[in-house]
Amino acid sequence: MQQQPYAQPGQHYGGPPAPMVQQQYAAPASVAHEITHGPSFAMLRVDLQPGQVFVAEAGSMVARHHHVGMEVKMNAGRAAGFFAMLKALIIAVLRKFVGGETFFVNHFSAPQPGSVWVAPSLTGQIHHRRLNGESLVLSTGAYVGHVGDVDLKLKFGGLKALLAKEGAFFLVATGHGDLWFNSYGGIHAVDVNGSYIVDNGHLVGYEGNLDFNIRTAGGGLMGMVASGEGLVCEFRGQGRVYIQSRNLSALVQWLTGMMH
Amino acid sequence: MQIDIAYRPAHSLARVSLQPGEPVVAEAGAMVGMSTNVQMQTQSGGMMSGLKRMFGGESFFRNTFTPQGGPGEVLLAHALCGDMAILEMTQYGYFIQSGAFIASSAGVNVETSSGGLRGFFSGAGVFVLKATAQAPGQVLVGGFGGIQELVCDGNMVIDTGHLVAWDATLQYSVTKSGAGWIASFLSGEGLVCHFQGQGRIWIQTRNPIEYGRTVGAMLPPG
Repeated sequence: MQQQPYAQPGQHYGGPPAPMVQQQYAAPASVAHEITHGPSFAMLRVDLQPGQVFVAEAGSMVARHHHVGMEVKMNAGRAAGFFAMLKALIIAVLRKFVGGETFFVNHFSAPQPGSVWVAPSLTGQIHHRRLNGESLVLSTGAYVGHVGDVDLKLKFGGLKALLAKEGAFFLVATGHGDLWFNSYGGIHAVDVNGSYIVDNGHLVGYEGNLDFNIRTAGGGLMGMVASGEGLVCEFRGQGRVYIQSRNLSALVQWLTGMMH
Repeated sequence: MQIDIAYRPAHSLARVSLQPGEPVVAEAGAMVGMSTNVQMQTQSGGMMSGLKRMFGGESFFRNTFTPQGGPGEVLLAHALCGDMAILEMTQYGYFIQSGAFIASSAGVNVETSSGGLRGFFSGAGVFVLKATAQAPGQVLVGGFGGIQELVCDGNMVIDTGHLVAWDATLQYSVTKSGAGWIASFLSGEGLVCHFQGQGRIWIQTRNPIEYGRTVGAMLPPG
């Protein structure tokens, strides 16, 4: 019976060292991280250096080194005023009980190098994106975490978001840093140049400069009922849209049908 | 006993090849297929140990599969989608989260160990099994999602819902995650397991109970 050799101090924890993400532009390097077990069961490991703060969706932590500190904060956006804080608190409490994204986030920081592992609840992929000043709009539940100078704001999607069943709120991430988001199923990026149509249940996120509106897939009222395509989002402009290869509402509908 | 795992990581299936007369003990319901010369015996190991196991979050019975008059094979699977891992027995043994146990070779002694009162009330099923052996042997465990081996060299904190198994060399205690109950509740992290010492920890990349609650909450009541 041979005991397997244990890792020596200084050796990397949990797999090979994370490769640095290739940058195509002169920007601060991304924080060391690795996404494993994709596309079905993706997990993210972030390797923190002293001074770095990893902000993650509350409840998503799988593991951390003991010396990595964790602090729960409300996700009200940077330098939020009293009313923004109040709004965030009301939404947070509502969502805590109604379900969905909690709008509480955990801040992880380490006085000495250490790692945090996070994973979403549902099956699917995690995608990394480096933000360089632009904004990315994420649908409900898509946010995983970020490092750097990234501001998160809740955006009321209005009637069209309610209609699109994407939840009444979007999360707008703007700034410079690393952003991770997750999908139900695989993540597929579409570079829109002109216009593009996405089924509302498959929308993960889109670049903030894109414009979108809700409409039927075609064929009028009859087409909406009979085609099974329901409502779609039509994007206009130039930018990237992220789509997930599965639709959570479709799973729930299918399961609901099996229950009776 | 030789274990080969196919269809990893999402839908893993273990093929256990056995010598004549060599038994394998498997969780009830795990058998997918077997050679016709393999005999199955159901044991609860006595009322008390069966009940203890039930409280451990597993089924009351375990089955022993033994090929007669020649070699044989047994195919085993886990209820949830995910990967499997083979743990080679060491002199220290392993702690195994009760829902992760699939099978063990004959010389391995698997006992229910209490995860403490907090584990009982958390609903997270932090009941653990302790697997020990006097001779080389194997334990087959299954996870929800991928399985990742982490090395604990000092101190680590792991969400209880993501635990699969760990070396018995590690000290562990189950505590709330945050500084206080309110912070724990708001942070959504619930209960965590603090590990201390040197050893390996196997985690699953998805939390079965969290998944069940997330999808379950979207279904109509009744």
